[in-house]
Amino acid sequence: MQATKSFEQAFLRHLLRGFRLSAVSYKSMSLQERKSAIKLSADVAMASARGSRKWTRGLITKLSREDEHRSFLRLILGTEYGRLTKPRHGSWKIPRSKKIVRRSLRVCSRRKNNLRAPHGVKSGVLARTLVEKRTHALKRLVPGGESLDGCSLLDEALDYVISLRAQVDLMQKLLTTFEAPKLRALSKCTLPERKASFVGK
Amino acid sequence: MSSRRSRISEEEITELISKLQSLLPETRRRGASRASAAKVLKETCNYIKSLHREVDDLSGRLSELMATMDVDSAQAEIVRSLFRS
Repeated sequence: MQATKSFEQAFLRHLLRGFRLSAVSYKSMSLQERKSAIKLSADVAMASARGSRKWTRGLITKLSREDEHRSFLRLILGTEYGRLTKPRHGSWKIPRSKKIVRRSLRVCSRRKNNLRAPHGVKSGVLARTLVEKRTHALKRLVPGGESLDGCSLLDEALDYVISLRAQVDLMQKLLTTFEAPKLRALSKCTLPERKASFVGK
Repeated sequence: MSSRRSRISEEEITELISKLQSLLPETRRRGASRASAAKVLKETCNYIKSLHREVDDLSGRLSELMATMDVDSAQAEIVRSLFRS
């Protein structure tokens, strides 16, 4: 499972735009400020490239909680900003879905435990608690995860991990691309110029 | 009826857990058999955290490089990446 080519291109496009929009301040920024600006651009680019998903909306909402981020977000996302941060009409359903979550998790972990090791009631309780505990941890890590039920949470986590991996890969590629001219410049200093030797001939 | 609903969501959850497992680095390396839901959830959390750390690290390294780089050449590099991919 991988991010699509169109996601990769959209990510790079948005990242470029983000750099352009905040570049004015780059020279005057401290290293830490620039790092935060780049990270923000990268996260916005990732959410924007992916489109409307529960985690992308959760991420943009989370980022827009910081006052200093909000103007940047509005600038780079434009009309998308309103759409991504608008509370969904289905949010009133949350209390009910929590019940379904607990029920499905209970059934799921009980069944799972029975399939693996038909011990007794004790191990079933332990397994259920462990799954619940780990599910809570996952909810906190996936943006917008707090309001999601079992299946949706896993679905969003899956999508989020795929996107995160692509984000890391693309940033790594970018780093390599940026470093290349510097390495070339360094090698020019140490090695004899090929061109000059050619001309000489 | 509720048992039917929970059975359907149970299959979905099992499938999603299995898909998540296939993403995890540990699984890819060892080609492990089916792990428990609890283990997959734990490993997924760890994986997300390590990916977050990588993004943070890469942001730092990019910021160091971009300090001395002007935006136009940065743009040119990104556009070149776009054409390459």
